[in-house]
Amino acid sequence: MSPKIGVVTFPGSLDDQDALRAIRKCGGEPVSLWHGDDNVDGVDAVILPGGFSYGDYLRCGAISRFAPVMAEVIKAAEAGMPVLGICNGFQILCEAQLLPGALIRNDVRVFVCKDQDLQVESVDTTWTSEFTVGQTITLVLKNGEGGYVADEDTLRRLEGEGRVVFRYLNGNPNGSFHDIAGICNERGNVLGLMPHPEHNIDPLTGPTQDGRAFFSSVFNFLAAKV
Amino acid sequence: MARVVVDVMPKPEILDPQGKAVTGALARLGFAGMSVRQGKRFELEFDGEVTEERLAEVRRAAETLLANTVIETFDVRVEPTPESAGAVDEAQNSQAGNNQAENNKAENNKAENNKAENNKAENNKAENSKADGSEAQSAEEAELAARAG
Repeated sequence: MSPKIGVVTFPGSLDDQDALRAIRKCGGEPVSLWHGDDNVDGVDAVILPGGFSYGDYLRCGAISRFAPVMAEVIKAAEAGMPVLGICNGFQILCEAQLLPGALIRNDVRVFVCKDQDLQVESVDTTWTSEFTVGQTITLVLKNGEGGYVADEDTLRRLEGEGRVVFRYLNGNPNGSFHDIAGICNERGNVLGLMPHPEHNIDPLTGPTQDGRAFFSSVFNFLAAKV
Repeated sequence: MARVVVDVMPKPEILDPQGKAVTGALARLGFAGMSVRQGKRFELEFDGEVTEERLAEVRRAAETLLANTVIETFDVRVEPTPESAGAVDEAQNSQAGNNQAENNKAENNKAENNKAENNKAENNKAENSKADGSEAQSAEEAELAARAG
């Protein structure tokens, strides 16, 4: 049975359809979740997609973080369910304090949209086990508020515990501290990153197919669990 | 009616790209030597008095939603409203206090009405520009005629 991966649609989500498509193309069963849902019982993992949920009002992710479905996502994440936050999803995970730190406006003060080179720093997560440490990959990056910031203690802890999962290569596009593009929680089941794996799963729409490994990683993790 | 203001500012050590952009724009406009940091101001209005419990509740709201304390600081304060200022006067001279409040209300209403009028005018203009060229022209002619009249 193929694993069921839920994708939450908030008002203002943009990449929910691409995420659902990527799950299907990579061999999973996509399940649409709605921000007003009060359970995530039917799924094995959850993706919080990119976009501008609630219009980015107040702060990116600040209002979505309190959507009814998020109470369930937080509970499930704390119980070990794989959760992937892409772009706006990463911002929501930080606002929800499932991941430390915050994302602020790009230091370059423009919306950045490019094919971004990344270095894989950790494969000890449910979403990156199919990569190798030190591998260079390229994913689409597109955001206005992707500058990752955290206090010194948090950065030291993230670095020390191997929780920096992706780092920007060949130039820092947005002023992120330590060139951080993606981080995970202590347990490695919650991953947030600014670049978009779901846009990089077939030659038609992406510069690479490097996004596929995110999906195969979580499928393997879920298969091993059963 | 009581008003509590919550000011939210990016922490000093956090880069403020918006403030930097505004700083740059001010310098280009000739406002030299000004360094800007940009924050947010929230006005929370309540019926009745601002009690300590109320303030504690506002602080909780600020911490929960209005500010992200990872990157921002916040400040909570009570702001006198025209009504509450009137209430202070009332203690000394009830007639004067009430008049002031009434006057303020009247002023506000007038401002509201003007805004509504302006909006209506804006809408009309938008409607006209949406219409095709000839109509827009005739609308313009009508306006000119009206002005001449």
